[in-house]
Amino acid sequence: MIELINVTKRFGEKVAVNNLSLNIEKGKLTMLIGPSGCGKTTTMRMINRLTQYNKGDIKLNGVSINKIDPVKLRRSIGYVIQEIGLFPHFTVYDNIATVPRLLKWDEKKIKKRVEELLDIVTLDINFAYKYPLQLSGGERQRVGLARCLGADPEVLLMDEPFGAIDPINRLKLQDSFLEIQEEIKKTIVFVTHDINEAIKLGDKIAIIKDGSLVQYDDPAEILANPANKFVEKLLGQERSIKALSLKKTKDFILKDNFVTVSDEETEREITKKLQEKKANIAFVLDKDNKLIGRYWLEKSKKNEQVEINFDDSPVFAERNNTLSETLSTMLGSGEKLLPVVNRKKIFVGIIKLNNIFEEVNK
Amino acid sequence: MEFLGYYQGIILKELLRHLEIIAISIPISLIVSVPLGFYISPRPKLAKFVIYITSILMTIPSLALFGFMVILLAPFNLGLGMVPAIIAIALYSLLPITRNTYIGLNQVPQGMIEAAKGMGMSSKQILWKIKIPLSIPVIMAGIRNAIVLGVSVATFASLVAAGGLGFFIFAGIGRSNLKMVLVGAILVSALGIGVNYFLLTVEDWVTPKGLKIKR
Repeated sequence: MIELINVTKRFGEKVAVNNLSLNIEKGKLTMLIGPSGCGKTTTMRMINRLTQYNKGDIKLNGVSINKIDPVKLRRSIGYVIQEIGLFPHFTVYDNIATVPRLLKWDEKKIKKRVEELLDIVTLDINFAYKYPLQLSGGERQRVGLARCLGADPEVLLMDEPFGAIDPINRLKLQDSFLEIQEEIKKTIVFVTHDINEAIKLGDKIAIIKDGSLVQYDDPAEILANPANKFVEKLLGQERSIKALSLKKTKDFILKDNFVTVSDEETEREITKKLQEKKANIAFVLDKDNKLIGRYWLEKSKKNEQVEINFDDSPVFAERNNTLSETLSTMLGSGEKLLPVVNRKKIFVGIIKLNNIFEEVNK
Repeated sequence: MEFLGYYQGIILKELLRHLEIIAISIPISLIVSVPLGFYISPRPKLAKFVIYITSILMTIPSLALFGFMVILLAPFNLGLGMVPAIIAIALYSLLPITRNTYIGLNQVPQGMIEAAKGMGMSSKQILWKIKIPLSIPVIMAGIRNAIVLGVSVATFASLVAAGGLGFFIFAGIGRSNLKMVLVGAILVSALGIGVNYFLLTVEDWVTPKGLKIKR
């Protein structure tokens, strides 16, 4: 899809990228990682010709990008940077419509596309007419993602898109991002300096040091066989626990042995239902299957009567959480069983602590 | 009051003349300083030089500047009247407008321009769709400064026989007529305040809505 062939880039005397060759595969999420100043961002910026390389060649679908007009090339490639660069004087709608308008789509088609994209990034349609200054950091990030998907480009370049987001929201955004990628299957080049992010998101990881490629492989292979001391150090301690990050919650979802109820059922009905099924937890779903609460049975301390309790914001795992994230959610909340939802909070099943332990023991 | 009644006609005439001087000199200054600001915006070394020169122009005492104009223009038979006044005020406005145009264009965050470029906007599109809308409030503030400054500097226009509200002040001084000086001074101040207020409204009106939002 994208081939970098012996690419070299110099800034004056300094060699930023040194004879680097990399074959980025179609439909894969390729992470470029390395210490700051290692040339990962330069490598990415050469792909849409924001930086011009000195030697070698880059081919997109077999065509040298030097033969493509840079403005046209950039319109065919989605681009997100750390500060996102949303235009403050444009509404969310106009921001997302930027590239389609540059490509002179008709307004009807643009409107449909913007609505579709807002839905994909789970933003309400009301956001369309807000301005970037009215959004939170996470919301802006979603708009940034929607904007780079505007004209449905085949390739996306993302330069530390979640870098400026707090850790909790970053995990959420990563989960939604992975789920979106499952649907859109774009060829993505993603620059990061966070090894956990690289392991969690990447189909492939390219480790770069001093402008040269050190190792390029899938995350499992890199964790199992680091090429050298540098990679080992980058991976850090606890490699066996990091390996848990390779497993996704969605692969451990149980589709049966749980009770779900609608929000219209009474507590008495739910208690009866639970006792019949010999269960003690019921998940409350609305008509769209969104998780909106949890009932559980507990023996009262005073008498031996069974009481029913309700919690309107139950702890949950997202299907793209890594096993290690779900494990720490479980340990943090003291639950042995968590409901699993997707990015739109739609209930998709449950996950049990036992299953995670089995995986660790393998 | 009696005074105002007596001078009613002259007050109106000199007020209009005062505005006329500004209305001619500011557009002349705009034609030079806005393009100059755009030209120097990507050239930091030249910008430093240009802003230095324009700020020197501004340190010349207004009275002296009018004097220079009279002497320099005398050989062309333009030493007195509107011409020296207009040129002097236009020179004074160069700094605030050029400087604010330069600052306005350069305060647009680099990340935003990178994003625009990365999405495939041409340099022209970046200028018209991103840089100009985002710098217009700052440029407008510069123009407002220049005009308000011009209102007060134009007082000296009457010394070069161009008329304007300065007439009351200088004629008053000549006749030791306190009332006359006061009327002139108050009129100049009131005009300055009024013009400032009006231009603030214009500024608010040209500022893109997305920039005015408070979090």
